[in-house]
Amino acid sequence: MPSLNKRFIAELLGTFILVFFGAGAAAITLMISAGGNPTTPFNIGIGLLGGLGDWLAIGLAFGLAICAAIYALGRISGAHINPAVTIALWSVKKFPGKEVAPYIAAQIIGASLASLSFAAAVGMDAVTLGGLGATAPFPGIGYGQAILVEGIGTFLLMITIMGVAVDRKATPGFAGLVIGLTVAGIITTLGNITGSSLNPARTFGPYLGDMLLGGSNLWAFYPIYLIGPIVGAIAAAFLYNYLSSEN
Amino acid sequence: MKCYICAQEGKDTDALAICIVCGMGLCQDHLIRQEVDVWEGGYPFPAEKLEKTVPRILCGFCYHSLKGRE
Repeated sequence: MPSLNKRFIAELLGTFILVFFGAGAAAITLMISAGGNPTTPFNIGIGLLGGLGDWLAIGLAFGLAICAAIYALGRISGAHINPAVTIALWSVKKFPGKEVAPYIAAQIIGASLASLSFAAAVGMDAVTLGGLGATAPFPGIGYGQAILVEGIGTFLLMITIMGVAVDRKATPGFAGLVIGLTVAGIITTLGNITGSSLNPARTFGPYLGDMLLGGSNLWAFYPIYLIGPIVGAIAAAFLYNYLSSEN
Repeated sequence: MKCYICAQEGKDTDALAICIVCGMGLCQDHLIRQEVDVWEGGYPFPAEKLEKTVPRILCGFCYHSLKGRE
């Protein structure tokens, strides 16, 4: 097995890819639609160009980035690229406890570097207009509703990971493709409710970038993207273990 | 079964093994035994090389053909 240092770098790089291309796609969509006139308050700009197609495009940007990270780095670190996934695997004894903190640190650093790099590459419009692709509940969505939505979305992601990758009976080779497309599907439906983060690191990076570069301060919403994904992922891991047990 | 390569050289030697790729019978002098690493894991677990290897017996022709890709 590669050393923890190498796996740390792989997790950092994988999460960088996810946030740079995924959250970057959300920021770019907001920049393209800036100045438009949304017909409903539920529309913040994503959806103005092509309705749900905007969210499908953002979802595919995330999904294909995840697909690339899994196939490129999965053999090295496991390519969790998501603290909720790391914690859920640990909760069902599939991942060593002493490596949880280094993995999460790598994911947080990778996501933060991605958001800062995106701002450096695109310019301040990425912060002021695109918000670096940060997630927040949409108008009319309460705090509890947002946690529920993030929990359900991450539940679907994690139970898919359990079924197509963790389970030894799964057909090998399909995990990256299936998980990438699953995330794309979840984002298409849930994007316009909470931003469909499903991942505490994915939300941390843009929040930190926005704060450091003079954008919106959204930290009050961060517990949504911690509690929802972590609880949803752990629930999925335990349920899958129960459903797939032979007893 | 006889060794194919020995037979081509006009010798009559019993085969001890068969090339896993082409099926050629091979004597001790003409077989090439390799130890192939076995890896376990991959997404979402880091891949890990297992302690034990899997033996693979090849003839010289197949060994050199395959080695070109390694």
